[in-house]
Amino acid sequence: MAQILPPWSNKIPLLGALAGGLGATLAIAGVWYYGSPKYTDVGYRPIQPVPYSHKLHAGEMGLDCRYCHASVEISPVANVPPTSACMNCHKIVKRDSPLLEPIRESASSGRPMRWIRVHSLPDYAYFRHDVHVAAGIGCVSCHGRIDEMEVVVQTQPLSMSWCLDCHRNPAPHRRPVSEVTNMKWAPPKDRTVLAARLQQEHPVDPPVDCSGCHR
Amino acid sequence: MSRSYWRSLEQIEGSPGSREFLEREFPEGASELPEGVSRREMMLLLGASASLAGLAACRRPVERIVPFANPPEEIIPGVPRRYATTMPFGRSAYGLLVESHEGRPTKIEGNALHPSTLGASSLRVQASILDLYDPDRSRKVLHRGESKSWADFVAAWGETAKTHAAGQGEGLAVLSGSFASPTLARLRRSLEDRFPRMRWATWEAVDDENARAGVATGTGRDLETVLRIERAAVILALDADLFLTDPEGIVNARGFAAGRRAGTEGGTMNRLYSVEGAYSLTGAMADHRLRLASRDVAAFVAALAAELMSSGLPVDAPGTAPAGEIDQRWLHAVAQDLMANRERGLIVAGPRQPPAVHAAVLALNVALGNVGQTIAYHERKDAAPSSRSSLADLVTAMKAGTVTTLAILGANPVYDAPADLDFASALGKVANTIALSSHVDETSRLAAWHLPRAHFLEAWGDARAIDGTLAVIQPLILPLYLGRSDIEILSLLASDQEQPGYDLVRQSWKGILGDAAFEDKWGRVLHDGVLPGSELPEVVPTVVGRPLAGLAPSSSSAGDLEIVFEPGATVHDGRFANDGWLQELPDPLTKITWDNPVLLSPATAARVGAKNEDLVRVEIRGRALDLPVWIVPGQADGTVVVTLGYGRTSAGRVGNGVGFDTYRLRTLAAPDFDTGVRLTPTGETYLLGTTQEHGSMEGRPIVREAALEEYRQSPGFAKEAVHAVPPAPLWNERGYETGPQWGMAIDLNTCVGCNACVVACQSENNIPIVGKAQVRKGREMHWLRVDRYFAEDGEDRAADPQVVFQPVPCMHCENAPCEQVCPVAATVHSPEGLNDMVYNRCIGTRYCSNNCPYKVRRFNFFNFTKDTPESMKLLQNPDVTVRSRGVMEKCTYCVQRINSAKIDARLAGREVGDGDIETACQQACPAGAIVFGDVSDPGSRVSKLKADPRNYSMLEELHTRPRTTYLAKVRNPHPDLLGGRA
Repeated sequence: MAQILPPWSNKIPLLGALAGGLGATLAIAGVWYYGSPKYTDVGYRPIQPVPYSHKLHAGEMGLDCRYCHASVEISPVANVPPTSACMNCHKIVKRDSPLLEPIRESASSGRPMRWIRVHSLPDYAYFRHDVHVAAGIGCVSCHGRIDEMEVVVQTQPLSMSWCLDCHRNPAPHRRPVSEVTNMKWAPPKDRTVLAARLQQEHPVDPPVDCSGCHR
Repeated sequence: MSRSYWRSLEQIEGSPGSREFLEREFPEGASELPEGVSRREMMLLLGASASLAGLAACRRPVERIVPFANPPEEIIPGVPRRYATTMPFGRSAYGLLVESHEGRPTKIEGNALHPSTLGASSLRVQASILDLYDPDRSRKVLHRGESKSWADFVAAWGETAKTHAAGQGEGLAVLSGSFASPTLARLRRSLEDRFPRMRWATWEAVDDENARAGVATGTGRDLETVLRIERAAVILALDADLFLTDPEGIVNARGFAAGRRAGTEGGTMNRLYSVEGAYSLTGAMADHRLRLASRDVAAFVAALAAELMSSGLPVDAPGTAPAGEIDQRWLHAVAQDLMANRERGLIVAGPRQPPAVHAAVLALNVALGNVGQTIAYHERKDAAPSSRSSLADLVTAMKAGTVTTLAILGANPVYDAPADLDFASALGKVANTIALSSHVDETSRLAAWHLPRAHFLEAWGDARAIDGTLAVIQPLILPLYLGRSDIEILSLLASDQEQPGYDLVRQSWKGILGDAAFEDKWGRVLHDGVLPGSELPEVVPTVVGRPLAGLAPSSSSAGDLEIVFEPGATVHDGRFANDGWLQELPDPLTKITWDNPVLLSPATAARVGAKNEDLVRVEIRGRALDLPVWIVPGQADGTVVVTLGYGRTSAGRVGNGVGFDTYRLRTLAAPDFDTGVRLTPTGETYLLGTTQEHGSMEGRPIVREAALEEYRQSPGFAKEAVHAVPPAPLWNERGYETGPQWGMAIDLNTCVGCNACVVACQSENNIPIVGKAQVRKGREMHWLRVDRYFAEDGEDRAADPQVVFQPVPCMHCENAPCEQVCPVAATVHSPEGLNDMVYNRCIGTRYCSNNCPYKVRRFNFFNFTKDTPESMKLLQNPDVTVRSRGVMEKCTYCVQRINSAKIDARLAGREVGDGDIETACQQACPAGAIVFGDVSDPGSRVSKLKADPRNYSMLEELHTRPRTTYLAKVRNPHPDLLGGRA
């Protein structure tokens, strides 16, 4: 009886298995990479209703973060400033800039500004700014070099594993509370000494259990 | 609060397929694929939905941050604030502290400085916040159904007022609910000054008019009664529900709990006797309960007076006491206790009993020296008490055509006035009617003008507590629906001018606080919520006449059935009918939700020939209503209990058509109880939604109790009830060594079963309501339930059992069975001993619920919060995740409160102190029965309670090592009544 299938067809299962394995690996790798917040969220850079420049205000002019984000030390929320905070200066400075028209409009009408949230956590994650500031976590650790950003961009993935990296070992990320808003702070050479001192002065024990952040 | 529920209710009640819906486990398509789908097609569907889900997740939703343009000084975004205010409730008032998140009130607690709440609350207080956001509330002024503006009404009233002013107010009438408020009283006076010949009527469907009349008969004075149960060693409650329907239930429960606690802390325990027909919470808490029809209570009082007289008490007992029916041993024991505890006893009759009984009880209390000790009388001021005769006179005048303008302020007489008055047709004879109400209710529907009424959290006002203590009603939010308050309308009627409520209240308070340093004092009152020391003087009354001679024994024969009207345990007189939390809250005794069946004792039901859920026709004085039957063991034979407050037709989406309008059976002649009722089965049935059998614990010793003597001899009786041998562990059990360890102790001895904790939990934790059909399937979502057990000692007590309540939250087992079976680790333990539930991991297998021996886990079978109306979203607690469909949830020990207390302590540089964290249920509990804290700290309150010999773990033999434990109940029976029927 003649052979129906040629001899090379014996390799079909092997090649099929290899192709399938490669495909599965690629699929997993693809989801792993493209589905992770590192890819989906880092680099998020929405255009705000007013092209407010952190580079100018916080960087070149050296405004402290807390001038605008005043509740960061006393509230879970680091507030976005009210229009009146902008007008403290801008009723004198750049009074006629067309870019500031929405701000002037909001100030005169009392209708609030509608800024776009850049750093967004899932609704089931409860993050508190006040306790992180008190623990000496610098603004820069999560928000990046805001003082160099013309337009604010998300630099960290803000994913759960990223949070947990620090919660499991906070020492390398802590700084003196006085330096929290200092974007340019550089850790001393021997960071372990500082970490030990900070832990002694103000011990922290960040939660790593679910209800620490999820309620 | 989800509308999805309302939709399903319509499906159930309205569609012909309702039976089919009930019989299926899930509605069609909800959880299974339509029939005829092959495996291949299913894979296709799965693939498609997976890829669609993937695509949807790629789009990042744009979230807006909207800061204030000009921030108010005191608001810090993200930090809740608390304000003191007051909830008026008839002549009572509840001082509150209300939590506000960025200007929206979200949670109500009691104000510790207020004499009627003392920091605790009740189910009505807790649920009142839901009414604020009720999307069915009226939003505009209506004139004969047409939308008008407030200015239109002001102009129209100006015209009306002119004509009435000419006739000195002839033809003008006002009908209000009862109140005790300086500003309302002041404005009423100025209205009456302007229109001297006007008529004022006050009506509450549920009121204590009989009690007031009794005090007036007995003392010749009009006085408010204030109970001081905490001082009473012996309490005799006659047809009285002190803990739930009584407006002062919070303080009563607290006082009673204090007397119970004393007994287990080495002192003397109070003893509660209850004589009643319907089973109430007071009967459930009683050490001895005598089943007696309401109509026979007068005879009981006469017999008791005779017994007391023969024991040497100088009272003027009526000669003929027909004591044939009454257990002599029982009577003797009560009399002996009351005599032995003179000045420390208390006799109290319920509002249902006629004035003669109240007068007689007053005379007995005076003779026993209890007045001024356990019961106090205070002067009444600034109050408008309800009066049936004022309503009847008003209706007569309306029918005679002598009333041309009627303003109804907050009352709903078309729904709740006695049926024989036929208020609706009388209303038709009045040319101009004005109805101020929160909803376009039954009365507003028939009125010419409807005015939207502001909620107490939206309006300024003031109120006196029952002892006269003054408190300010401070709004937390502007009126959501443009409503006006009672005082604003009354001021408009009196002056033709619109004046803000703030000015009106301040004007009254200038008279109260004086002009000197007014702003300082006013600021203090707003901060505290109350004016300390403003209670009205206590009066020591003298008995006038012979009150005991007025006791009339019942004229009906023993075989007659009597009908008894009870206010709804949750919806009260019907004003809370559109409150989903209260509708779904199980009645404390029957555990029925969303309905008001007629309640019968087993013997009466057998006599009538009806069983549970049979429809019977109830006929009384020529009026008839078909009601479903529910059998309540322990109810007096021959007593037919019907509940008021249901069957509303114009309450809103939640309350419309729920239950039956029993006001149709209630007449002015007999609004409390009546004889001559006839019951005939109709042969039809009606389905009721009860949680009675849900989470049944199969007869194991779940609740444990003992008599005081047994407890004294063997304090560890509860632990000895079960011999728990810890099984050999299958794995290394987790240790809990570091950090605080959270735990809870619940004292069954003081829990009165009032359900305040359940509503508090619902409010704190964004728990949805699911509707009657889902409740029937056991899908209610309450994280905390109060189990009710009937306790029977042998066969002869089957008709007359005792009742024990047991609140059951999550036990937070150290060795949790739920955690062991979760395939995705969605429920895990925290190092502090919390059994965490991680919603975003849960895939909804429900294995955990199956494996939970306490049945405290709740599953979202539907997306109950999907269609939450916009206004209801303001109510949600922002610190708690709103759960979606397919997710398991359960009590978290209010982990949001634990975390924020821990962080606050850390920020302040201190440790979390004992008492810093109160769970929502603990905070609401009027009896203080729930204590939460750190069990690793031997000095904490919870550790001390857990060291009490009465402490036991539920189902200890399963070795789950629960963190929630119970303190066994101890009853204090009279030694002469031990053993045998009593």
